[in-house]
Amino acid sequence: MDAHIKKVYVPMTETGFYILLCLRMPNHGYGIIQRVEAMTDGEIRLAPGTMYGSLSKMEKDGLIAFVQEQDKRKIYQITKLGEEVLALEMKRIKRLYRSVEEAQQ
Amino acid sequence: MSEYKKEFRYFTIFDYEKEQEYLSWMHERGWKFTMVYFPGIYCFEPCKPEKVMYQLDYNQEGLAHKAEYLQMFADCGWEYLLEFMGYSYFRKPAAEMKEDEGIFCDDDSRLDMMKRVFRGRMVPLLCIFLAVLLPQLSIQLTDRAWTQGAFRSSIFWLYLVLVIVYMIFFIRFAIHYWHFNNRRR
Repeated sequence: MDAHIKKVYVPMTETGFYILLCLRMPNHGYGIIQRVEAMTDGEIRLAPGTMYGSLSKMEKDGLIAFVQEQDKRKIYQITKLGEEVLALEMKRIKRLYRSVEEAQQ
Repeated sequence: MSEYKKEFRYFTIFDYEKEQEYLSWMHERGWKFTMVYFPGIYCFEPCKPEKVMYQLDYNQEGLAHKAEYLQMFADCGWEYLLEFMGYSYFRKPAAEMKEDEGIFCDDDSRLDMMKRVFRGRMVPLLCIFLAVLLPQLSIQLTDRAWTQGAFRSSIFWLYLVLVIVYMIFFIRFAIHYWHFNNRRR
């Protein structure tokens, strides 16, 4: 993983995190928006401008890859590099969570 | 009452927030935006006064893949209106939103859009400024010594005015960027 990827994606935005998390299964932008809304009980509703921009940026940086087009919707899937970045983020978030737990004891 | 209304409004490329507010404001007063053309003539038709959110996106890549770009917005309930000066115009009635909603949901993506505007619009201007205007102005100044009346030459004044207009543009962009970054914190 080169320095640019680390600088841009570690830590990453909530939008970026949910995109990578959802794209472990192939999906399109709107599909991700719907899944995230369901996963968070409607608390996080990603917007189309943000989604479109993030997907094209992540595709360019090689974190996700285009799979196929279906009804004018581009389907993507996470790449090896994307999985590495996601693993780093998960580790960071777990550490944060542990700190929160400890602080509340 | 006339069937439609035309208004002239001048918004610079950084004033998209003001432009959005203006279009929403008109809609709430019963004027639905139909089209805009150069240099800033906004056309409206009468409609039921309603709270409608207008949003502008600047995304060259989206315009290059228009079908799938617009599909994403349509899926999220945003009606696409038109494209003008590189901007795509969208609207969505507030009644269809659970809470205040925009086409961007975080500041990172708002900043990304500002950067796209900068790359798409400001970089070409900066190139003209640095490669043409500034050299020309200095040639004018050195070729014709002050005593030979550089100030009487109309071409000198033309370049000077252009340089000032460009400077105002750059300064406005810098202020806009600075405000945005401050608001983020």
